[in-house]
Amino acid sequence: MKSRFFSRRDFLKTSSSIGMITAFGGIPTDLFASEGKLVRFPEKTDLILLTSRPPQLETPKHFFKELITPNEALFVRWHIANIPTSVDLRTWRLKVGGNTERPLELSMDDLKGLPKVTYTAVIQCAGNGRSFFDPRVPGGQWGNGAMGNITWGGVRLKDILAKVGIKGDSVEVAFNGLDSGPLPTVPDLVKSLPVDKALEEDIIIAYEMNGKPLTMLNGFPARLVVPGWYASYWVKALSDVTVLSKPLETFWMDPAYRIPANPCACVPPGTKPGKTVPINRMNTRSLIIEPSEGNRLPAGKEVAISGLAFSGGYGIKDVVVSVDGGKTWKETKLGKDLGKYSWVQWTLPWKPAQKGKHTLMARATNSIGESQPFDRLWNPAGYMLNNIEKVDVIVG
Amino acid sequence: MKKNIVFAILVSAGAFLIQHHVPMVQAEEMGPVHSITLPTIPAELKEGAGKDKVMTLCGICHSPDYIPMQPRLPAKTWDSEVHKMIKVFGAPISDEDAKTISSYLAAQYGTDEK
Ligand code: HEC
Repeated sequence: MKSRFFSRRDFLKTSSSIGMITAFGGIPTDLFASEGKLVRFPEKTDLILLTSRPPQLETPKHFFKELITPNEALFVRWHIANIPTSVDLRTWRLKVGGNTERPLELSMDDLKGLPKVTYTAVIQCAGNGRSFFDPRVPGGQWGNGAMGNITWGGVRLKDILAKVGIKGDSVEVAFNGLDSGPLPTVPDLVKSLPVDKALEEDIIIAYEMNGKPLTMLNGFPARLVVPGWYASYWVKALSDVTVLSKPLETFWMDPAYRIPANPCACVPPGTKPGKTVPINRMNTRSLIIEPSEGNRLPAGKEVAISGLAFSGGYGIKDVVVSVDGGKTWKETKLGKDLGKYSWVQWTLPWKPAQKGKHTLMARATNSIGESQPFDRLWNPAGYMLNNIEKVDVIVG
Repeated sequence: MKKNIVFAILVSAGAFLIQHHVPMVQAEEMGPVHSITLPTIPAELKEGAGKDKVMTLCGICHSPDYIPMQPRLPAKTWDSEVHKMIKVFGAPISDEDAKTISSYLAAQYGTDEK
């Protein structure tokens, strides 16, 4: 058996740095970066360390057995190092203005006085799975743990925008948070959405995750939630909402967070795209959570193959599983439906008869027919990985 | 309402403080302020010529662990990363230091590819 299944303790014995697992330069074979160094940050449980300043922390695989990701286990991803570590709700205000009839400043009490919306939505980093790109690309080397399924509570962005009155010539709405660059030359993390998108019903400014205030590292006191879209838009520790009459031009809108302007968001490995567009809606994914890569299963005994699946806002119609490397497929049983933005759990009982290696695969399709490719897509920034995952197990 | 929220947060933050042997702070004293203290996690880079420069200059804006997080990359990819830090983010690094840093990165975290 290959060494990649050694336990966390074994790992810490042999290495004190995450560099160990990535240093060989190949592609990690497990679907999750489950062997990295675990660290504990405030309000969080033991998470896999990618970087410490600013913190980038990945959720360990076992939390993906759960329908809802616990707050303490949700991944952490900041871009620029001056992140808020202290917020005084007596002075914090959400400032809304720009190309509007009037500006507005809202306190947390003001926000809580507005109609509250609650739903469950997957939050996923655009670079989730980047470490599986072939050839590999620089950037946050996430396994598949830069995602989570959270019940968000907050107020509709469109209710707030209605209060300030967007002027007719507006094109975008920009979002800025309390974080800032460590040097003045480091561009501030400001993101924008087209006005039509910003006015959509389901976009909220969330002040709760799973019924509790946001953890500091996940964006206390409030963050934007753009369900169905990648988390790069879900600006944390929100401080400013600015309506714009011209498109926002910052490093974080262009060249960062752009994808090739084609349906797969991909180019031949190692090449550069011509035209690009801002990253937007998530593609469809399914992940096999159990069994894990390399597991030994007894022959003739029933086990459950289980996992999760989600899409960019169109729910999941079905998930099919193959136990023979893609030759035949069986429909799985879907778990509780928490709505089109949530992930759904799926399971398939399996009684392996033949001894030897079996390749398990899972493929999800959403309600508008979007599914997953057999081959890994590639783009230079390492975004939107969603190929059909393979998990090899040994029977007998 | 406000107070309850802050208290709930402090309970979990408190768990962290205890673990790191910092005296527990009373919730009342903190009022409506929500604060955390980030742990310090030293980055470990491979030994090699230029390491000190890398630890200092590549640690100005973010922890140097951004480097060992990367897979092995071709020398030209490392060199373009160094120049991205200078051109896009304004890293105050001289041409000479940039050369030293690129050589260190290629030698310690590079592929055989040139
Ligand atoms: C002026 C500030 C600054 C300095 C100095 C700096 N960096 Fe960066 N670095 C950044 C920022 C900002 C990011 C992007 C963070 C993100 O996207 O999350 C980054 C990201 C990275 C990444 C991740 C890949 C990428 O391109 O986003 C690597 C690797 C990296 N830096 C290496 C270095 C090295 C090596 C040095 C020393 C030569 C260095 N950095 C010095 C600001 C800096």
